[in-house]
Amino acid sequence: MEGSTDMATAELSTTARHSHSEPTKRRRRLRPDQIGLYGLLTVAALTALFPLLWMLSGSLQSLTELLSNETFIPSAPQWENYVTAWVQGELGMYLANSLLYTGVAVLGILVVSSLAGYALARLDFAGKSMFTFVILAVMIIPAPAMFLAQYRLLISLGLSNSRVGYILILITAGIPMATLIMRSFFASQPKDLEEAAALDGASPLRIFASVILPLARPGLAAVAVIQGLAAWNEYLMALVIFDDNALMPIQRGLTSFTSAETPQQQVLLAATAISIVPVIIFYLLAQRHIVNGIGAGAIK
Amino acid sequence: MTTQQIQVPVRRLFEAPHRRQSFRRNLIGWLFLAPAILLIGVFTITPFGQAILLSFQSWDGVSPDTPWVGLANYEFVFGDAIFWASMRNVLVFAVAGFFLGNGIALAMAIAVNNITRGRTFFRTVFYLPGVLSVVVVGVLFSFILAPRSGVLNRLLDMVGLDALQQNWLGDPAIALPTVAAVFIWFHWGFGFLLFLAGLQDIPKELYEAANLDGANAWNKFRYVTWPQLAPVTSIVSLLTLLAALQIFGTVQVLTNGGPGYHTMVPTLAIYNEAFVNYRYGSAAAMSVLFGGTLVVLSALQLAISARRSRA
Repeated sequence: MEGSTDMATAELSTTARHSHSEPTKRRRRLRPDQIGLYGLLTVAALTALFPLLWMLSGSLQSLTELLSNETFIPSAPQWENYVTAWVQGELGMYLANSLLYTGVAVLGILVVSSLAGYALARLDFAGKSMFTFVILAVMIIPAPAMFLAQYRLLISLGLSNSRVGYILILITAGIPMATLIMRSFFASQPKDLEEAAALDGASPLRIFASVILPLARPGLAAVAVIQGLAAWNEYLMALVIFDDNALMPIQRGLTSFTSAETPQQQVLLAATAISIVPVIIFYLLAQRHIVNGIGAGAIK
Repeated sequence: MTTQQIQVPVRRLFEAPHRRQSFRRNLIGWLFLAPAILLIGVFTITPFGQAILLSFQSWDGVSPDTPWVGLANYEFVFGDAIFWASMRNVLVFAVAGFFLGNGIALAMAIAVNNITRGRTFFRTVFYLPGVLSVVVVGVLFSFILAPRSGVLNRLLDMVGLDALQQNWLGDPAIALPTVAAVFIWFHWGFGFLLFLAGLQDIPKELYEAANLDGANAWNKFRYVTWPQLAPVTSIVSLLTLLAALQIFGTVQVLTNGGPGYHTMVPTLAIYNEAFVNYRYGSAAAMSVLFGGTLVVLSALQLAISARRSRA
């Protein structure tokens, strides 16, 4: 099916190319409506990028230059702003915390949601549709309705102001959507291998671990990327749970740095720039999975 | 439908001759679900129930005593001007995000879908703000929008539009639209990605047929693109609404609800009521009222889309 449409579009595009190829110059020139579109898109792109470019520019200026607002190109790049931000803001500590929370939470979400998603897609047992309903119901309970009670629960479990408590909250928050993504992924996979393994007498858990999971990489990648971004950027629960600076993720670290008295604007901009480096790199590397994951989570 | 078709043969494989085996089959299924059930049960469903209970109690956040106070918290919340101001404000975010944000997202998706070169570039750039954290967005825009040193006022000055200069976050009349604009800047890329994926799924044949009928651009949009995009539009609308209604971090970092309560939003009001005023009971009542509204909204949307897919 897919192959044939690919062929058809390939054919179409070759014929299109042939018919246009004679006046070569015309193919290069943009049609007027295309010029309008590119103009519009460029304005939108500049609007999207401007705050980030301004951040980079400001983070390399001296305070006097920054406040005078005379220029976008720093006259003499002040790289020491980054050093000051890193040291004063203790960014190394906060970034390490964020990496830990994000990594462990994503791992936990992958394990829990692939098990549950597989059961919903492939196994047959009483109460399955009830569980699917519970997942949907839980998905629509918003954070504002729960964060207070979650905080209180963590206190009574002795897990407030703790890494374990925060990670458990992050994992739980990710499970519903991740389970639905994994379910639709497993449901779309061919089942020959599972059947063969079952005929060989392998147990369901064995089949899952040695046959299913290795083939589930695209689904797992989509879940990992979406949940990784969500965990990295989580703010509300981090604000509620942590009192101890040494445990806070980067989002909290950045706000406590911002509200402190000492740092100056150019240093804060450098700190902000440092804080988004991991997420930007991650985004540029994993873009394809983001598009897939958002599509899978929202539409399917 | 499809899941059922797939399940049948696998079920037959796991189905054993004896009756006792159906117990084993159920057990295996629930074992696979056990971790998810445990976590959701403890950290989502229990707190959800506790929030409702807490809304009928009084708690200062420290003491072990939480006496029952009946409907006192709800009475307090109903008379609380800040909470209702926050509900009105968040409607502004919802409406702005819904019409303006989704409008921009759809327009840009159509534009990107109609160009030949640079699609990946624009897609990458447009979703870029969406991967930033609310804190980063708040910090950046609080500098950009600052009245004297802020770069926005400076830019307006440079191009001779100094009449448009504002105290963007400090003027009661302007702060709310400003924060709404920041929200849209931050969030429209998400709808854009979904719209773009939806546009690329529309069969080309429909447009070819429309061309044969001599349809102009508007008619193609009206009779092909718009109806074909309907499922995507409804999911984008719901997700945008929910994101706008739950806005918290951006507002907290940018204005902390001020000036006065002109940019106060419900989640921030709940947070302040609990962690600033130490009135956890009335904060819980607020979260029940506000969270309940969101749940009803989502359930309504789920029901509507379920009916639509059945029809």
